[in-house]
Amino acid sequence: MVPATLAKSLVEICGRDGVILDEDRLLVYESDALTAYRHRPGAVVLPRSTEQVQGAVRAVAEHGLPIVPRGAGTGLSGGAVALDGAVVIGTARMNRILDIDAPNRRAVLQPGVINAELSAAARVHGLYYAPDPSSQTTCTIGGNVAENSGGPHCLKYGVTSRYVTGLAVVLADGSVVRLGGQGREAAGYDLVGLFVGSEGCFGIATEIEVGLLPVPEGVRTLLGIFDRIDDAGQAVSDIVSAGLLPAALEIIDGPTIRAVEDSVFAAGYPTDAEAALVIEFDGLKAGLDEDVERAAVLCERAGAREVRSARDEEERIALWKGRKKAFGAMGRIAPDLLVQDATVPRTTLPAILRGISEIGERYDLVVANVFHAGDGNLHPNILFDRRDEHELERVERASKEIMQLCVDSGGTITGEHGVGLDKKHHMELIYGPDELAAMWGVRRAFDPGGVMNPGKVLPEGAGGD
Amino acid sequence: MPVSTAVHSLAGAVRKQEQGLLNCVHCGFCLPACPTYRRLGDEADSPRGRLYLMQAVVEGRLDPGAEAFQTHIGRCLGCRACEPVCPSGVEYGHLLELARQVGGDARRPPIPARALLRVFGTAWMARPAMFAGRVLRATGLPALLTRILAGRRPPKGARLAVAMLAASAPPPPLPGRAEARPETVTQRRLEDKPTVGVLDGCVQAGLFSRVNQATVRVLRANGYRVVSVPNQGCCGALHAHGGDLDAARSLARRNLEAFEAAGVDIVALNASGCGATMAEYGSLLADDEEMAPRARALASRVRDISQLLAERGPIPGGSVPLKVTYDAPCHLLHAQGVADPPARVLDSIPGLDVVPLPGAAECCGGAGIYGLTNPRLGGWIGSDKVRAVLGTGAAALVTGNPGCMMQIGAGLALTGAGIPVLHLVELLDESYRRGGLYGKAGR
Repeated sequence: MVPATLAKSLVEICGRDGVILDEDRLLVYESDALTAYRHRPGAVVLPRSTEQVQGAVRAVAEHGLPIVPRGAGTGLSGGAVALDGAVVIGTARMNRILDIDAPNRRAVLQPGVINAELSAAARVHGLYYAPDPSSQTTCTIGGNVAENSGGPHCLKYGVTSRYVTGLAVVLADGSVVRLGGQGREAAGYDLVGLFVGSEGCFGIATEIEVGLLPVPEGVRTLLGIFDRIDDAGQAVSDIVSAGLLPAALEIIDGPTIRAVEDSVFAAGYPTDAEAALVIEFDGLKAGLDEDVERAAVLCERAGAREVRSARDEEERIALWKGRKKAFGAMGRIAPDLLVQDATVPRTTLPAILRGISEIGERYDLVVANVFHAGDGNLHPNILFDRRDEHELERVERASKEIMQLCVDSGGTITGEHGVGLDKKHHMELIYGPDELAAMWGVRRAFDPGGVMNPGKVLPEGAGGD
Repeated sequence: MPVSTAVHSLAGAVRKQEQGLLNCVHCGFCLPACPTYRRLGDEADSPRGRLYLMQAVVEGRLDPGAEAFQTHIGRCLGCRACEPVCPSGVEYGHLLELARQVGGDARRPPIPARALLRVFGTAWMARPAMFAGRVLRATGLPALLTRILAGRRPPKGARLAVAMLAASAPPPPLPGRAEARPETVTQRRLEDKPTVGVLDGCVQAGLFSRVNQATVRVLRANGYRVVSVPNQGCCGALHAHGGDLDAARSLARRNLEAFEAAGVDIVALNASGCGATMAEYGSLLADDEEMAPRARALASRVRDISQLLAERGPIPGGSVPLKVTYDAPCHLLHAQGVADPPARVLDSIPGLDVVPLPGAAECCGGAGIYGLTNPRLGGWIGSDKVRAVLGTGAAALVTGNPGCMMQIGAGLALTGAGIPVLHLVELLDESYRRGGLYGKAGR
C-alpha cells in the first residue's frame, strides 16, 4: 500500500487505468518466473511514454519508496520482485517499434517490444535480431537489456551487449539521459556498455537502439543422441576444439527429454536417451555441408548412438521448440523448479555434469539439465514442491553446492539470467571486497539515493552500505 | 471467508489434474497469446495472472467475491489460445469454467447474462425467442438500422445486438453461376458409409438453419449417412463458459441420451464452440459415475464438419470465383486443435482465391456472450479483427462458428464495406449446387 498522496500523483501521471493499487490485483505481480521469491508490490504503474516513466519515477522517489522495473516478468533470478513495498514500473504498454532503418541495419524500439516480434518485423527486410533467449516469444527487449540476455545462438553471435548501440534512460532522479545512439562508438566512456546488464539498478531504458543482422543464407541442424551425458559433453568440447564454429550447441538431458516429449512441443527426441545434443551451423551455404559432416563424425567418435539431420524447416523448428520450451515443460515433473545458471570452462563439462548429478542424488532431488553447452553455460533445473519446507531447504543447499562446484572449476555464478535476488549472496564466491566496492561505486554514480531496484545484485555490507 | 462447494470443486480439480494450477511454473509463455493481455498490458489480464488469482482463491488468500477475481476472471474471453503455447499443459479452459462457477457463487452474475443463458438452455423459451429474432430479421429493420448506425466507433450494446442479428441473415448471391453443363460428378459412394448425427444447436438452429441444411447436404454428397437425432438440444457451451456448470451438465445429459438413442458413429458439429464442449462432455460429467464412461465414449465420436470433409477429400464441386479469407474459430483451433482441415476444404473449391488473414488465430472478441459482459473490450478486439479482414482485400470472410459469424459480420456490416461472412459449409454447398451435385433443380 502506497501513501494516498503518491497514489494520487501516479494516477495524475499515468491515468486511472495505468495505476494498480488494489491489494488483490497486486497479487499477480508478487513474483517473476522464479516463484521461490514472492513479495507484493506497493503499487504497479503501466506507463505509455518516456514522460510518464519520468513522472512516475520522480513521484515515487519523492516519497522515498524504491522502484522496480519489470518487463514480461519472465526473469529467472528474482530481479523483478518488489522488495519492501516497492513500486513496480511495468513496460508492457511501451511496446512499439519506433523505426527499422534497414539500410543501416538498425532498429529503435520501446522497451516492451517482445524479442521475437522484433525479429519478425525485421525479417521483411531480410534482417533479424540475433540474441535469442529461450523465452524470446514472450520476453521483452527492455528485460534483455537489463539482464544482458543470451540464448542458444549467442555461442556464435554474442549476447545482448553486442547489439545495443543506444539508449534513452530515465535515471533515479527522473532526468532523462541519451547514451550512445546512431550505431556510433561512443566518444568518452561506454555508458551503454555499462548500462546493459545493470539489472534495473541504474535506471529504466525507455528507448533502445539495436543492431540487426542479415538472415543467414543457409542453416543446417543436427541432433546427436547419446546414452551417456558425459559423452555429449565430450562431443561439445571436441567440436569446438576442432575449430568448428557452430551457431548453437545445446544439451538436453534425459529427464528434460522426457518432460518435453510429454508436452505439446514434443520434438522427437528418443525418450530412452540420456542426452540430446542440438548442433546448428549457419552462414553462407558454401562450406556448411563440410562443417555438418565433421561435427557428425565427432559426435559418433564421442559415442553418439545416432546422429540425425533435420530434413526440412518444419523438423528444424520442432527440434528447437523442444529445446526452447523445456523450462516451461518442467511443470510436468514437479510443481516448482529452481533453474540455476552458471558458466564453466567447456573442457570441464563432463566432470561438472557428473558432480551435479552426484549432488542431486545426495540431496534426494531431481536435477534436470538443459543448457548452452557450447558456452559452458549450465542450467541445472532443481525440481521440487514448495509446500514441502524440508525439501525447500535441501534445494537451497544443493543449489549452493552446485554453484560452489562451478566456481571451484574456474567458472562463474551466472551465464545470462542475471544475479537478481537469487544469486546476490553468491557474488562473494567470485568477487573480493575491492571488486564489490568498485561495483557499489558505479551503482551510486547512477543512483546515489538507492532508489532503483535495491536489495538486488550486490550483497549489502560488501564494500557498500 | 465463506468456503463454497464451488471452491471445493475448483480445489478438487486442482488436485485431480495432479496439482493442476501448480503445473503452471509461471514461465509467462502464455502472455503474448492472450488477446486481453496484448491490449491491456496488465498481467492480471493474462492467463498466468488469472491462474495466479485462482490459486490464491484455492489457498484462501483471496475472496472469490473480490473485485480483482470478478473483474479479471470475467474479462477472460475463454479463447484458450494460451493452451497450445503452454509447455506444462495447463488445462486452462477447464479451470476457467470452475473459476467462473466459484465467482458466480460468490457474486451473482448480472441479470441480462443470466437471462440469456436461461433462454438458450430452455427449449420452450429458446424457440419463440429465435422465432422473434427471425421475424425481426425478415422485416429488414436490423439491416437498415445497421446501415444507418454504421460508423467508426467500435460496436457495442444495442448497436452490436442489432448488427449481429442482421449479420445472421443469409449472404447475398455470390458472383459466378451454376455451370451450364455440370460435370458429371456423382455423389460419393462409400462402402463403410458411417452414420452421422448433426447437432442442430440453439443459435445455429434458430438463426442459421441454412447452415444446418447445407451441412446435411455436403455430408451426404461425400458419402456419409446422415440420420436425424430427435430430442437433442443446446450443448451447454455458453453455460459452461459462464460457470453455470449444473445447467451445462443437465444439457449434456440430455444430448448424451439423444445421440445414443440415434445410434450414430459420428457426431458432426458445424459450430466449433459446441464442438469443443461436446468433445469435453467426458470431463464435464466426470463426477457422474453412471454417465461418465458413456460421456467419454460419445465425446470421442465428436468431429467438426471440416474434419469429416477433409478426411474424405472432399469431392470437388463447381466454380465459385471469389476472393475469400478465413478466420479460425478459437474453439476449433485452440480448444480442439483442428488447424488444417478448413484450409483443405477451401482448397478443394474450384475458382476460390484464398488469401491469408493476419492474426487469423486470434479471437474475434465474440466469445459467447462477451459482447454483453465486456462490451468495450469485446468491441475493441472485434474492430481489430474487422480491420485485418478489410486489409486482405477479400470479398468475403469464411469461418466456422455462429458466434464468430455474427460478431465479425456485425463489425463488417457497421463499416458499410459490404463484405459478407460465410460458413465454410455454405460455401462448399454453393460450389456443389453449381457443380450439379444436387441435380439440375439446384437446391
